[in-house]
Amino acid sequence: MSNNPSSSSLGERVWSFFASVKLSFSLLLILAATSVAGTLLPQKEAAELYLREFGSTWGGLILGLGLGDMYHAVWFRLLITMLAVNLVVCSLNRLPGVLKIIRKDPAADLDKKRAAAHSFTLPGQPNDAAGAARLALAKELGKVHEKPLKEKEGLVMLAQKGVWSRLGVYVVHSSVLIIFTGAMIGNIFGFSGDMMISQGETLDYITIGHDQERALGFSLRLDKFTLSRYANGMVSEYRSDVTFLQNGKEVQRKSLVVNDPAEFNGIDFYQASYGQSPGKVTVRITRDGQTFDAELEPKRWNPLPGGGEAGVLEVRENVQMGQMYSGPVARMAYKPPQGEPMAITAFKAGNKFPQKGPVKIELVDVKIVPYSGLQVKYDPGVWFIWVGCCIMVIGFLIAFYFAHRKVWVRLESAGSGRTRVEISGSTNKNRIGLERIMQRLHDNLRGGE
Amino acid sequence: MEALSNTLLVAVTFAYLGVSVLYLCNGVFKREFFGSAATVATLLTLAVHTTAIILRWVASYEQGYGHAPFSNLFESLVFFAWTITLIYLIIENKTRMKVIGAYAMPLAFFAMLYALKLDPAIKPLMPALKSNWLIAHVIACFLGYAGFAVSAALSLMYLVTKQENDPKSKRALLLDELIYQTVVVGFILLTAGIVTGSIWANSAWGTYWSWDPKETWSLITWLVYAAMLHSRYMRGWQGRRLAWFSLIGFGCVLFTYFGVNLLLSGLHSYATGKT
Repeated sequence: MSNNPSSSSLGERVWSFFASVKLSFSLLLILAATSVAGTLLPQKEAAELYLREFGSTWGGLILGLGLGDMYHAVWFRLLITMLAVNLVVCSLNRLPGVLKIIRKDPAADLDKKRAAAHSFTLPGQPNDAAGAARLALAKELGKVHEKPLKEKEGLVMLAQKGVWSRLGVYVVHSSVLIIFTGAMIGNIFGFSGDMMISQGETLDYITIGHDQERALGFSLRLDKFTLSRYANGMVSEYRSDVTFLQNGKEVQRKSLVVNDPAEFNGIDFYQASYGQSPGKVTVRITRDGQTFDAELEPKRWNPLPGGGEAGVLEVRENVQMGQMYSGPVARMAYKPPQGEPMAITAFKAGNKFPQKGPVKIELVDVKIVPYSGLQVKYDPGVWFIWVGCCIMVIGFLIAFYFAHRKVWVRLESAGSGRTRVEISGSTNKNRIGLERIMQRLHDNLRGGE
Repeated sequence: MEALSNTLLVAVTFAYLGVSVLYLCNGVFKREFFGSAATVATLLTLAVHTTAIILRWVASYEQGYGHAPFSNLFESLVFFAWTITLIYLIIENKTRMKVIGAYAMPLAFFAMLYALKLDPAIKPLMPALKSNWLIAHVIACFLGYAGFAVSAALSLMYLVTKQENDPKSKRALLLDELIYQTVVVGFILLTAGIVTGSIWANSAWGTYWSWDPKETWSLITWLVYAAMLHSRYMRGWQGRRLAWFSLIGFGCVLFTYFGVNLLLSGLHSYATGKT
């Protein structure tokens, strides 16, 4: 690649832009700085809230830049994409060189001249000391390569260890890409929604967002919801006992607890919330001079004997209206045999309120049943995330705790029956560790003196 | 047993003040006595500290709640001080540089002092915290935080003793290397902490990442330290700049730990309930 920008093509310039560590460094810091904004500004609120809270100028700016849903904004995604490209280009740029180092025959480095970390003389000829040196070097770094010196009497030996650790950084980088891939797979092919299900109810769909429904292909029945408390009143457990049904047949039973979700046909169900909803309501209906009782299922139209339909919209178990009334109140929907549907408020049977319209509805018996809020998720990318995370941690250990170390021991005749020993070394990281190895070699060889 | 544990923790707090003073004396008077006394005292304090944590753990079983003592701010601060002391002692053992203790041990003292201001009562676990991932997540995070804390102490030492005036001196290079190495330890453990947190979130809330402020701030911290690790490969980022980087990173750690719960909790309810 040319250093002269005018002579390099656009492609080369783009490549070298993405191949720089400075870009990675800047992108990491820019991502950190922008992420702060999303934790300070409220996220995913209605547009009106930003305009009201921050005024039309700043609120408009927040909305314009997508800061209200920052982590999904196009520019934020673009920054992450740039980091991914940066990572790929950096790796592709450096990997061939690293592979060359790994494949290289270590013996080729025997002639390299390096400044000695330790230099001393021992009695005897170079060959006398060679045995001990060979053994000590092999113990520290493994296989020893050696050759005789050309110009003088003596020999040089070299051992290296951990050359493969140079790949650690690429292991880490690929793990980041695997995690990004998993997140994308989840985004594209996965879905997540929720299910509000009353005790005893069977549902075969979930709600995504506010009102979008999605069929599950099977159904789920909430058999029982239980809330347990500690002696001091704190909640100890929310539990939903559910049954999964396929084509109306019971297939699997499971207790859903926070931290212990259930999986069925690849879809996961999580205990998320709970509440109370109306169950069966028995009403007394008076119309056309006739009075009869009817049992109504919640949240749907129930046909009435003698024509027409009625349904329960909302029930409050206990409403206090001072001296006038205390007891249950329900909002009802009523459809006469002929004519338009209407909304009616119903009070308990025997109340003193006068009949207003063509029909009077009173509450004979109100059942309140608990409901469970379930978080429902399908994410085929999640295993990529876990595999990526494992590879990342393994990559860190390789990249940070294994170094490519080389140590040379040069034994050279110093005349008058002595041998000069020179120990030198090189490493791609952790100099201190290398110095310790050389110190040990020094102590070992000199120990007999 | 809970009362005994609490009494021991009060004693441990002031013992950390004591050992900080001993390490300081060691630095000022350069007498071997202070250094040896400081190390022995720190080891003893750590032993008592460990005992107090185990007693608290046992006590929670006696009360029928039975959970690891990592469930609220009080317990996490006590554990944070413990991890700082542990990481510091490992570094002292490796480097034989006792001067660092004068910068690291006050951090353990302040963490304990903050804990003493909080309610120490053992409480049962809320449903979201009932998970096998609690222990792994908290241990990984706080050992990581402690690595960053010791790195920040080393950075402070680098700057206070003006090592930048002679950045090629043996001591300056050693400090530089130690600042980097402790961040590496912290970074790997923080990564493990975020991963275990994600796995936990995935089983509790059905999503491994939801850009919740606590999650996001742990990612911000991770990004800052990731940038710091990459700065190693750029010219001119050793020494003074590295020390400042480590201090800024530790600022992010502190915000992730305290700031999110204290300042941003209004927006997201679980942040007050978590660690």
